[in-house]
Amino acid sequence: MATATLDRCGEVLARLARGDVSAFEEIVQAHQSMVFSIAYHFLHDRSLAEEAAQDVFLRLYRNLASIKSPKHLVFWLRQVACRRALDQLRRLPKAPPVSLENVAEPAEDPPDSDPLLSRGLRRMVASLPENARAVIILRYQEELELAEIAQILDIPINTVKSRLERSLEVLREKFHRWAGGVAR
Amino acid sequence: MNRWEEKLREALRRKAAPEGFSERVLARIRELPVQEERPWGRIRSFIARPAFRWATAMLCLVIAGSLVYRARQEHQRREGEIARMQVKQALRIASLKLNVARRKVQEINREIPQSRL
Repeated sequence: MATATLDRCGEVLARLARGDVSAFEEIVQAHQSMVFSIAYHFLHDRSLAEEAAQDVFLRLYRNLASIKSPKHLVFWLRQVACRRALDQLRRLPKAPPVSLENVAEPAEDPPDSDPLLSRGLRRMVASLPENARAVIILRYQEELELAEIAQILDIPINTVKSRLERSLEVLREKFHRWAGGVAR
Repeated sequence: MNRWEEKLREALRRKAAPEGFSERVLARIRELPVQEERPWGRIRSFIARPAFRWATAMLCLVIAGSLVYRARQEHQRREGEIARMQVKQALRIASLKLNVARRKVQEINREIPQSRL
């Protein structure tokens, strides 16, 4: 199935190369969930995540000529989404509040088996240091191998490994404290 | 992947983008000013080529190498010059000393025959 998606994406890229700009919409639709989710899990705010995700696609539009293949496209989107979310995170205290009118309605997501637990875990992930958060998001949202994460974040694989282990340890501790609080 | 990691994976599952996300992206794209290709844009893309970067790096290496070579040559030339000056000075001192010694010998030679006679 993944191969079929890549083939389809390859066709769309070929159409774009021939100057068919409408093909870009298909690229956005195919990857919007991935880009938005990376930004959302970083920022823990839907409106900020949407802004960041939109910027990623605008940047993609400007850099379409540098995309070599569907695989490269996915790699590029993940990398730029992480960088853009990190930038947004660093600018966060200075960012002006977004009015409620501009906040998009949340789309329907498949229900979690334990919504309270999932929400708690997402909050814990959002409280991790930004570099550790990037590793956790790429590992558990995108289900990437350590080598792929190292490539996207441009860091050594051993750093990814140690950050992942440390973050899981911190998350486990937080989770036990939180679970104790909820049980009481 | 253990149960704990499964929970994490479920919590961090991809979220659907907000309704109308792609339309808003396309609307922003339509608002973008049509960019004419400027000359500096072409220059930038030329500079960004790996071949250009390699060539620049090689050129820098060659320039740095030739500078080091020239500096070393200059240093050797200066040292040679100093050595030449020192030899000249030594020869000058030696010739002065020899002159003094020659004069002394001449004086002694002049005095000895007279007293013997």
